Amino acid sequence: MNYPPLKSFVSRSKLCLLLLLGCSLQLQADEVQWHGFISQGLIQAPETNFVNLDDSISAELTDLGVNMSWVLSDNLRLAGQVVYLDGGRRYTKGTRLDYLFLDWTLHSDFNWRLDMFLGRFKNQHWLYSATRDVPFTRNAIVLPQSVYFDSFRDIAVGSDGLAFKVTRNTSLGEIELNWSWGATNLSKEQSQILLSTLAQGDAEQDYVHQASLFWRPDQSAWQVGVSLLDSDFSYDKAELDYYFDGAMTVQRVMFNGRYAAEYWELSSEWVQERLDISDFYAPGFKRDSFSQGWYVQGRYNLLPRTWALLSVDLFDLDKDDRSGRKFSESTGGLVPAYFGYQDELTLGLTYDFKDNLRLTMEHHWVKGTARLAYPVLPDLQYNKSEYWQMWAMQLMYWF
Amino acid sequence: MKTKLVIAGSVLWASTAFATEVITHPAVPMDQLTVNQLRGIYSMRQQKWPDGTAVRVFVLPAKNQVHQTFAKEKLQMFPYQLDRIWQKITYSGLGSAPVVLSSEQQMREMVASTAGAIGYIENPDELSTLKVIRITQ
Repeated sequence: MNYPPLKSFVSRSKLCLLLLLGCSLQLQADEVQWHGFISQGLIQAPETNFVNLDDSISAELTDLGVNMSWVLSDNLRLAGQVVYLDGGRRYTKGTRLDYLFLDWTLHSDFNWRLDMFLGRFKNQHWLYSATRDVPFTRNAIVLPQSVYFDSFRDIAVGSDGLAFKVTRNTSLGEIELNWSWGATNLSKEQSQILLSTLAQGDAEQDYVHQASLFWRPDQSAWQVGVSLLDSDFSYDKAELDYYFDGAMTVQRVMFNGRYAAEYWELSSEWVQERLDISDFYAPGFKRDSFSQGWYVQGRYNLLPRTWALLSVDLFDLDKDDRSGRKFSESTGGLVPAYFGYQDELTLGLTYDFKDNLRLTMEHHWVKGTARLAYPVLPDLQYNKSEYWQMWAMQLMYWF
Repeated sequence: MKTKLVIAGSVLWASTAFATEVITHPAVPMDQLTVNQLRGIYSMRQQKWPDGTAVRVFVLPAKNQVHQTFAKEKLQMFPYQLDRIWQKITYSGLGSAPVVLSSEQQMREMVASTAGAIGYIENPDELSTLKVIRITQ
């Protein structure tokens, strides 16, 4: 699959969005809707490479966005959003076209609805994937890394391609089915967040194919879901490069559930991820491993505008080596075993000053470094401790 | 015994005082909706009435008592679940959130004057300009 250079695609897309926004100013208010969000926070994760390398308190916790939805006809709509993100070293910093797609409603009645999406769309398959950059839609400032690994953010957040969504009311409750096919064009900077700055070649996502099913039973406080992902990547090495030409396959099986009560709720996701690497580290190299992780988050409505959060997040890089011992031995003891897992406990507090102005604070206690950069190359220099902590606070406003 | 009667009376009064009814523009071609159909409308998935008129969804602010009673009694959902659905569709491009009105008076006026409109109020009395919709399981 050939793509135009990412910079040119992004700048053209932004130009298109600006032109559309200009045109939309001439339209009636019910044909175009505008929304946005602004947030700024502070974060510190000493003794890791998660946010920065000097262990200082960082203001690199900024999420800004503006979006529009333009109703073109009875069954056609155009939607777009531009965001500016700064998460320090967690993902690529800067302005980007978050989504821009045409939504064609192929069928809609009281029993079922079918939509087709064409363009750049968000990942609708996991509990928080569609709005992981929109701070007030998340339970926590930093999402559980077992499922929402920040190094994979840029390739997991959405795709350029084609997607369908079906919702249907049945005697068993509401069923929602999502299907998508597409790819994300990786910039050099995005590649280096995945593969480290030693990577000088070109990384490409050949495709990502996903499907998910959500079920909301009638008169039940539960929602449950399952999703599947299959994606191939290729790497073309540069003339002078640490890595070699190679290929990777990533496959995910995920289950999720959510229980809603009046003053509390539980959300949980479980993931098993297969990572199959061919060549890449060296010609003829082959590794096929299965990681596993899951989290459960509980929120409790302490006071009318205040929610408390308790989150447990567990991740093992290899489900057959949960202690990381074999992994460490395979490197001759060079990489400590704690790079094979990452278990995390989070406590948080959220206060709503107004319906659209919120302050969130949280503290993480972590054991292990398996979900710190880089996924393919442990950073021994900066991830020095098996036990580490992180705190963050973020003020957010939306309209 | 007297105390029990007073408590029972208070509960009855409280439930009557905060009873909400679903209302639509008088030309909407339906007299009743199931809870699932109403959820479909307030989840912004249902776009049209059976006659093809666009559905226009109106709500009161999240902290409004009538909104909270409507969510729990009519939709059988909690207000924070509705907020999450609307935020997800608004900020991932899947659609638009309902129009938030500031008062019940504005709700009466907007639903009465907007083709395809649906909303809710406490104890509707202006039956000539509004249609009350019965909600069934």
